[in-house]
Amino acid sequence: MGGKSKLWTIFNLLGPFLGLLVVIGLFSLSAEVRPFFLSGGNFKIILTQTVIVAIGALGMTMIIVSGGIDLSVGSTVALTSVVAATLLVENFSPADAALLTILAGSAIGLLNGLLISGLRMMPFIVTLGMMGVARGTAKWLSKSQTVNPPENPINHLMASPGDPTQFLPLPIGVWIAIALAIFLAIILRKTVFGRYVFAIGGNEIATRYSGVRVSLQKTVIYAFAGIFFGVAGLMQFARLTQGDPSGANGLELDIIAAVVIGGASLSGGTGSVLGSMIGALIMAVLRNGSSQMGWPTYMQEIIIGGVIVLAVGLDKLRQRRAGK
Amino acid sequence: MNPIFRRLPALLTLLCATITMAADPTYTIAVIPKGTTHEFWKSINAGAVKAQRELAEKGIKVEIIWKGPLREDDRDQQIQVVENFTTRRVSGIVLAPLDSQALVRPVNFATRSKVPVVIMDSGLKSDNYVSFVATDNFKGGQLAGEQMGKILNGKGNVILLRYAVGSASTEERESGFLDALKKFPDIKLISSDQYAGATRELAYAASQNLLNRFGREVDGIFVPCEPPTIAMTKALRDIGRAGGKVKVIGFDAGSQEVADLKNGDVQALIVQNPMKMGYLGVTTMVKHLRGEKVDKRIDTGVVVVTKENMDTPEMKELLYPPLDKYLN
Repeated sequence: MGGKSKLWTIFNLLGPFLGLLVVIGLFSLSAEVRPFFLSGGNFKIILTQTVIVAIGALGMTMIIVSGGIDLSVGSTVALTSVVAATLLVENFSPADAALLTILAGSAIGLLNGLLISGLRMMPFIVTLGMMGVARGTAKWLSKSQTVNPPENPINHLMASPGDPTQFLPLPIGVWIAIALAIFLAIILRKTVFGRYVFAIGGNEIATRYSGVRVSLQKTVIYAFAGIFFGVAGLMQFARLTQGDPSGANGLELDIIAAVVIGGASLSGGTGSVLGSMIGALIMAVLRNGSSQMGWPTYMQEIIIGGVIVLAVGLDKLRQRRAGK
Repeated sequence: MNPIFRRLPALLTLLCATITMAADPTYTIAVIPKGTTHEFWKSINAGAVKAQRELAEKGIKVEIIWKGPLREDDRDQQIQVVENFTTRRVSGIVLAPLDSQALVRPVNFATRSKVPVVIMDSGLKSDNYVSFVATDNFKGGQLAGEQMGKILNGKGNVILLRYAVGSASTEERESGFLDALKKFPDIKLISSDQYAGATRELAYAASQNLLNRFGREVDGIFVPCEPPTIAMTKALRDIGRAGGKVKVIGFDAGSQEVADLKNGDVQALIVQNPMKMGYLGVTTMVKHLRGEKVDKRIDTGVVVVTKENMDTPEMKELLYPPLDKYLN
């Protein structure tokens, strides 16, 4: 029996990786598309397209592992992208604008966290409300128009540098996403706070009884995740080179899907940074590949939807195995 | 050797061809609209297919990949589509940019990667493209102004209900209209600073407010696009001033607008030619790819449609584009 469970552990770890390989393999089948699809230049584009979802998925991983959910991420990203653009229009220095944008993301997260832990409200409801509030605020702040600041250094975060056919150099945003992922993985594995995140998601009542101030920890989790959403908003701004109050609509669903495909359970307690990053990559590869194959948009939506259900189905199967 | 094995390479090629849904075309052209559900974009799609068929008759093989953003009106999604076709190394991209600013960088990226881009429908804040194929909106507005002068015999009170702040195409129509009105000194502009807003509901409320104030004195109204045209006509019907008592000139040819033109509540529609836009987008790209010189700006034309001329064959083709013939 021991051998079998060991096999499952390996499968759990490799599952998302295998998924990614299968998806890449699928698009490499076509002789016409393969030489373009499997090129350095294309993978540079895929990584660039993953940055926003990936950084969002980092914050979301923490929240989902702790047993929560955040539906306001898309709106938060739109709002913070408008904040960044507005600050630049108002002649703030790029560094100040970036810092304040990230703080704005964190402030929204803090508010979510305070409402969830202070009023003991369901995260689903609080963040559903915040989804509307943040979206409305973004439109109010921007007068429902896109905000277009002059050329600035922040734009370069997501600009694809160098020879378009070569993998390197990668945009700075990709390196920032990788650095943040390593940073969060260390925090979740090596710090007390990280262990609390898993403990709260695994069994909140038991964690409270063992003397952990769960309310405080939860507030910190949402505020900390907000920092990531603020960075994602900054990247959204850099990508569009404008603040778009109606942008990033439904982004939270892509992000949640990435985290779930990566092996996290919506009931809390499990999930990993690496898994979520691969989940985000799988979705970006699916989009890129379907575009290049010339598949119609509806096929793409059906496939991505199918992959999400498949991933969660596997997750259930894993849980049942683990329960035995 | 077993005959099946001998045929294996051919079978494999066939299989691959089926997978990619294409059989070795000469040119692969990606046509990227702003969205896919509106009638306007379907007409553009039909025009692109028309171009493909005509070119095929001349022996030029073109494959059209028609692909809108995954979520309509999402700029980031449209950027992704442009990038993905660039690294896919299609022969060329025909793009209707969702935003004049946000799409600059991906278009530069495509050009840098030696994938030429033709812009259609809406402008781009850059000149890093092969050609801009679109309606001359200023001229469309001028036509509306001249028609207004004609209907009112050069005399009367006129309202311009604007569309929305920051919408480049409608702003050009509005200034074209005002420009043409200068030729009629006896026409008085009694309101030109109100905005209808993007949806039919907003436009309806704005029309009601405007008519509440000017409903008795106004003789003619110009509205620069589809939703406010429908809303304004409805508001006029509510107060019993429709049916030609107040002359309405609208823009575009949505089915409700055409019905209103037929029953006499709208006196004229300024109509663009989206099918021609799709057609010229593709043919211009093919010309460029074959090394011919193309104009940097190509006008796809606007016309005035009235109750009198709406049944002529060429107007009929504009009002009811033969989509079924090209799209299945």
